[in-house]
Amino acid sequence: MSSFTEVRPSVLQVAPPASVQHKRRRNVFLFPQSSNMAPSRRTKRVVASQPGFLNLKSSSGAAGLPSIRRKRVNKNKKKNWNKHSDINDVTEFLEDVRHQERTIGGLLSDKSDDNLFFLDVGQPKKAEQKVAEPVDGKKRKGKAVRPLRIDLILQHDSLVPPPKDVLAYQQPNAKKLRRIGQKAEQLAAKGVVPRRQKQLLNRRPADRTAKKAVTEANNNPDREYYDIWGQECESKDTADPWYLQQTGKKRVKRPEKLNEKPSVLPAVEVIAPGGSYNPDFFSHQALLQEAHEVEVKKQKEEDKIERQLAVNKEHIATEETILREQVEGLVEEENEEEAPNEEEEGVAVGAITVAEKKTERQRKKERAYKVKEQLRQANRYQNDKRQQLFQLRSIKTSIKQEEQETKDKQKQRKAKQEAQKAQPRRLGKLKFKAQDMEVQLSDELAGSLRQLKPEGSVLKDRFKSLQKRNLIEPRERAKFKRRLKLKYVEKRAFREIT
Amino acid sequence: MGGLQKKKYERGSATNYITRNKARKKLQLSLPDFRRLCILKGIYPHEPKHKKKVNKGSTAPRTFYLLKDIRFLLHEPIVGKFREYKVFVRKLKKAYGKTEWSSVERLKENKPAYKLDHIIKERYPSFIDALRDIDDALCMCFLFSTFARTGKCHVQTIQLCRRLTVEWMNYVIASRALKKVFISIKGIYYQAEAMGQLITWLVPYQFSHDHPTDVDYRVMATFTEFYTTLLGFINFRLYHSLNLLYPPKVSWTLKQSQMKLSALSASLARVVSTAEEDEAELDQFPVDGEDMANMEAREKEQKQEEAQKKLFEGLKFFLNREVPRESLAFLIRCFGGEVSWDKSVCIGSTYEVKDETITHQIVDRPNIDKQYINRYYIQPQWVYDCVNAKIILPVEDYFLGVTLPPHLSPFVEEKDGDYVPPEKLKIMALQRGEKPAHEQEDEEEEEEEDEEEEEEEEEDDNEEEGDDGEEAEEKNLKKMEEQRSQGKSLSVKVTAGKVKVENPARLEQEEKAEEKRLAIMMMKKKEKYLYDKIMFGKKRKVREANKLAAKRKAHDDAEKSKKKARK
Repeated sequence: MSSFTEVRPSVLQVAPPASVQHKRRRNVFLFPQSSNMAPSRRTKRVVASQPGFLNLKSSSGAAGLPSIRRKRVNKNKKKNWNKHSDINDVTEFLEDVRHQERTIGGLLSDKSDDNLFFLDVGQPKKAEQKVAEPVDGKKRKGKAVRPLRIDLILQHDSLVPPPKDVLAYQQPNAKKLRRIGQKAEQLAAKGVVPRRQKQLLNRRPADRTAKKAVTEANNNPDREYYDIWGQECESKDTADPWYLQQTGKKRVKRPEKLNEKPSVLPAVEVIAPGGSYNPDFFSHQALLQEAHEVEVKKQKEEDKIERQLAVNKEHIATEETILREQVEGLVEEENEEEAPNEEEEGVAVGAITVAEKKTERQRKKERAYKVKEQLRQANRYQNDKRQQLFQLRSIKTSIKQEEQETKDKQKQRKAKQEAQKAQPRRLGKLKFKAQDMEVQLSDELAGSLRQLKPEGSVLKDRFKSLQKRNLIEPRERAKFKRRLKLKYVEKRAFREIT
Repeated sequence: MGGLQKKKYERGSATNYITRNKARKKLQLSLPDFRRLCILKGIYPHEPKHKKKVNKGSTAPRTFYLLKDIRFLLHEPIVGKFREYKVFVRKLKKAYGKTEWSSVERLKENKPAYKLDHIIKERYPSFIDALRDIDDALCMCFLFSTFARTGKCHVQTIQLCRRLTVEWMNYVIASRALKKVFISIKGIYYQAEAMGQLITWLVPYQFSHDHPTDVDYRVMATFTEFYTTLLGFINFRLYHSLNLLYPPKVSWTLKQSQMKLSALSASLARVVSTAEEDEAELDQFPVDGEDMANMEAREKEQKQEEAQKKLFEGLKFFLNREVPRESLAFLIRCFGGEVSWDKSVCIGSTYEVKDETITHQIVDRPNIDKQYINRYYIQPQWVYDCVNAKIILPVEDYFLGVTLPPHLSPFVEEKDGDYVPPEKLKIMALQRGEKPAHEQEDEEEEEEEDEEEEEEEEEDDNEEEGDDGEEAEEKNLKKMEEQRSQGKSLSVKVTAGKVKVENPARLEQEEKAEEKRLAIMMMKKKEKYLYDKIMFGKKRKVREANKLAAKRKAHDDAEKSKKKARK
């Protein structure tokens, strides 16, 4: 050792020779149980006195000498052994061993000298470094190789390898499985198919159609159709109808009444002959006339509303009325009407007088008159009835007339009902509004099919037709409702400009 | 008088109706779902007779449904599907919110869907019922098939509609069922006859859509959903009635917009060869007397119809690029013509412009540079007018650059006495087989004369219908008077007498007229009054028609003079 110029311990201290160390350790473990002396001190002394043991923390040995008086303790009880035996030195030693294993990867004493020491030849020459650097530099240019400090801290620095998880490598029933595998191989070599596989092979192929049976969308362009009206007998019909009905498997029969159409109008109303792209003169004029009438009617309605809303000229304040209003109450007028008013009041008060009581005679007279009147009425009635015998003809005619009238009214009502059938009904909030007529003015008409400009929208026409035939109710488009109110704020940048 | 007091609104009409909101709650559906269900099941709102009673005293406008209808809806299995769909949407939303893409995919795979087949069967128990209601379905499908992919409706719906409409058109072509066409400013109206039902539908022009805002697309889409299903089943049945394969073998892989045309130029695959199913002749039954005439008439009619179906047979058309290809191709093929177009315009063209056998080229521009001498260059209206007139019209009026005669609506049917435009009269004359004396020179004048003649004819007809021959005699007298007045001096002459030839036909006529007069004389006062009234109405109609005709003539004259002045 001493032949080198300078020798430095590579780790902490000089390692002892391996063989000695081992013996010592065995001793240490055995000693405390056999000795009668205070175990801690004894072991310490013993271990320390052993030649070749290297203590990492040498200071502990020197400072740890107890100067306290020994306590007397009964040692015939295990409890006291545990309590009062000093195991510090053992733990310390074990700790030290662990520490060595962690840091060096084994006991210091086991290591050869080459592992522990190296030759210090001073600073390496700078020229060499400079040559080496650019090569490195090129490599490192991409990214700095130097690890972060935090990574260094977190690095696993113990040299003791992690214990192997035995369970991870174990396979339950390994032997059995191996045997089964071997047997299967043997059978396969013979060409024997095991029973289970046979069963699998014999099983029917899985229903691949089941997935296809998922109903496809109605608007699938490649969907298939079949003869829906041809197939009469379905499988369901063969079952007991009562059973089907009770189990809810039978469809409820559609009432016949539902197949009636809600309107008598045809589905497609062909446009008037004037709507041709190259119309005959008169039919075109007729169509224009019709459209004109519609417009006039609309205009009239608008005018009517305007007229009704107009301010009456008499209500507009003139100078005179303004003046009168201003002077109201300031100029006193002589009230001549007050005096007669008072008189009237007096009369009114006097009117509330109790009627005089009727005498008995008056009552009798009244009664007699009443009876007489009744008799007269009855006679008159009888007489009239008798007289009707002679008026038979006129009565007959009047009856006929009445009947005729009722018949006429019936007819009218029927006609009205018929006309109503073609009319759109009131089905909701809104009334049906016919769309604007499609008309092209004489100068808009195209000379040829190529220049034709289509008028109106077929989509709208269809939609209105559905409404007109009472298939759907006329509706307004749902309006978008904002839940929260909007607040407008000028942005700062914008405000600066303005 | 004892018993419990009757409460208001617990019986009668108040219990027969249910408001929309209540119905919705009863079915546990949202309003859009409820609306969809009602449309699919064909249940419509109802206006009660006594609104105030039904509305329990309130006069607020509400939508009412019949309670029984709603009860019927309760049994519908689709309601369950609607609820499932609601749950599906909720789950999907949640999955999206949590960005769980795998579950989104899984949910989408298991999207609940429903079928409308049972509803179709329920609403239309027989095929004819369905066929009667097909107008709407056709209109809607044709409309949706013209939509672009604007997101207003599902792209798949548009494609399905295209497929169904092409199938329908192919059926019409195969069965030669088209009857009428009318080009209006709105769109093109077609009328066909299938299984004895007249079916009218409207096809919008291509690219004419500005999507109106006040139309509820959701409602329209629901109707379309139902109608596509209906139309598909109907198509199936119709194809099978013609022994055709369904679905037709059309290469669907082609681009959708082009699909229509290519499909129209190809003919369909038949299950059975055509020869045997050709024209079953009317069975002959031994009949007597009066029916015989009817039978003959019917037979004649049928022959005519057969001839009309082969209107364009043997003709070869070529469509220039500026004409509405689809409509024309459909029409021409409906009546047995051959049709093609430029290869660069669209696929499906079968021959080129250079083909020498082309008989008609349809052009819609004022003039064309290179013209072949052995074909007619005509404007597209000719085809439409021919179809409506059911004969091949003379091509002269439809040459390039010529002002076209008006396109008349075939959907108007004039009763006797109504005003009939002269153009129609002309066509009618042609139909009867009368050749108008047409010569190239003095064409206009000739035309005029023609019209006049026809008008006179018409008048004569009317008069014959009018009760008696007296008027005719009077007219003769008047004419004589006029002649006399023109001649100014009465030329008194004695002419040799002629032997009066007794015309049996005329005699018969006279006899009939006499009988009629006598019958009128024998009428009761009341009946006479009614008769006079009717006759007066008829005459008034005639008068009005004459007035219109005179107006028209004046108008034409004015036009002509203007033209001449310009020249």
